Amino acid sequence: MTGNARTPLLSVRDLTIGFPTANGTTSVVRGLGFDVPRGGAVGIVGESGSGKSMTSLAVMGLLPKGGTATGSIVFDGRELIGLPDRVMRDVRGDRIAMIFQDPLSSLNPYYKVGVQIAEAYRAHRPGVSRREARKVAIEAMDRVRIRDAAERVDHYPHQFSGGMRQRIMIAMALSMEPDLIIADEPTTALDVTVQAQILALLDEIREETGAGLMLITHDLAVVSEVTDHIVVMRDGELVEQGAAEQIFCDPQADYTQRLLDAVPRIDDEIGELRTTDVIVVPGSTRTTTTEERP
Amino acid sequence: MSTESAPLFRGTGLVKEYSRSRGIFKQRTVFRAVDDVTLEVHRGETLALVGESGSGKSTTARLAARLVDVTSGTVEFEGQDVTHLKGSDLRDFRSAVQVIFQDPYSSLNPKHSVERLVTAPLVYQKRKIPGGARAFARDLMARVGLNPDHSERYPSQFSGGQAQRIGIARALAAGPRLVICDEAVSALDVSVQAQVINLLRELQADEGFGYLFIAHDLAVVRQIATRVAVMHQGRIVETGPRDVVFDHPQDDYTKTLLQAVPRIDPEWDRRRREAQQARGAGAIATATEEEGR
Repeated sequence: MTGNARTPLLSVRDLTIGFPTANGTTSVVRGLGFDVPRGGAVGIVGESGSGKSMTSLAVMGLLPKGGTATGSIVFDGRELIGLPDRVMRDVRGDRIAMIFQDPLSSLNPYYKVGVQIAEAYRAHRPGVSRREARKVAIEAMDRVRIRDAAERVDHYPHQFSGGMRQRIMIAMALSMEPDLIIADEPTTALDVTVQAQILALLDEIREETGAGLMLITHDLAVVSEVTDHIVVMRDGELVEQGAAEQIFCDPQADYTQRLLDAVPRIDDEIGELRTTDVIVVPGSTRTTTTEERP
Repeated sequence: MSTESAPLFRGTGLVKEYSRSRGIFKQRTVFRAVDDVTLEVHRGETLALVGESGSGKSTTARLAARLVDVTSGTVEFEGQDVTHLKGSDLRDFRSAVQVIFQDPYSSLNPKHSVERLVTAPLVYQKRKIPGGARAFARDLMARVGLNPDHSERYPSQFSGGQAQRIGIARALAAGPRLVICDEAVSALDVSVQAQVINLLRELQADEGFGYLFIAHDLAVVRQIATRVAVMHQGRIVETGPRDVVFDHPQDDYTKTLLQAVPRIDPEWDRRRREAQQARGAGAIATATEEEGR
């Protein structure tokens, strides 16, 4: 590991992400700043359209076509914004790995999973033989607790369940021994019992490897269990950030307060759920929403 | 022929098998998606059917709505056997039982205006629209918290939460007595989800209909259910009043399921409420101080 151990692993400052439209540039993220400490776990939470996924794509240098990021993204002492594609490719996958929501669409159905992990590995480790890469693939599958890894390495994606496929994606991410894992809604498509296993697995892996985690999710209960620092976003802007305990026990922003109020709790029936946008429609006794935007 | 003692809905010994023929010798493999399920929904109550993917909960909902036919078992509605209804009797049943689906956009024809969408159930059933289509649509939209002036708009002009309200308005149009919600709030953002849950509860209080509420999200179920039935591999493994199932689960699978749900530390919630109250009191104190000046 290069860089000073006391500087954060990832430091995002004044990040603005813009897309060209017919009426000039629209920014989907504005002036965002946060840090991921070495070995730390940071949760980025927000509702749809908050810009949380765009933020993770900007860090990976994978913004959709036309998207531009300005500001500063410093990873392990190195500025990522403005890096040529060729150099960025070395950082991405090797030092920073990403896990997406839908493992099926990230895996190629025509290739054995072992081949896919091995190829990803060889892309970043030139000179490694197929045999060695296969060994790495088996080890990685072993590490994500896939039983009989030596045998299952030769199976195709459709032969695995949803949770197992997500383990394979994590195995692929881990084979490089990345310093930072970015997980964008990694458990949203999974059943709750499988989600619990995957979240526990991510925890164990962080402990074993010391990797930092940036977890993007809409699920406040998930971030409350997994991360120690939380960034709340809304409509492309930072609402507030702080230690998980502080955000959940004493949120400063009204939006965070209301968002927490709206989360249904399994332990308790709260009665009327409070919501973020409530107005009273004239001529009606029923409170309703203002979701219309100009 | 409703009898007062009969439940609104009763499914008895429901079984749904799917068979596939494979290979040249047509060996049939049978997959039993729903395996001997018995359940009841009473007027004014919400029975939540919970389970993970592949548990058979959605298939059970489709059997209840007569959208697919049972392999065996009986479906009764208001004391009447409706398992094999056909033609106009089935149409009558379908106006009494309505379904709200998960994805509001894909269940609404994008080329139809809200007015056309919400009056469609009556048009299909060749029923007269009371008070005319426009007035009827406006009234429904007001009931689900949409602006009645938007009755000429199309689904794409609404947000996800609003589109789901259109789905609910359409279900209400036929005057249902049983409403089946198949993951009706699962795709919505948390604040919008809370609004739609509140709306469903208000409508039930007003209209007294029964809900069969299919969901995988146990925290949502805790907010809306009267009773809970837990499904696993096609069978109901546990059923009971909501708080009994949540607080004292008997079945091992139910216990596993409940333990797996991520939760915000109740202690954190308690501290937040205290901080909120303290701040509220502080704000009032400041306001009074300022008034005093």
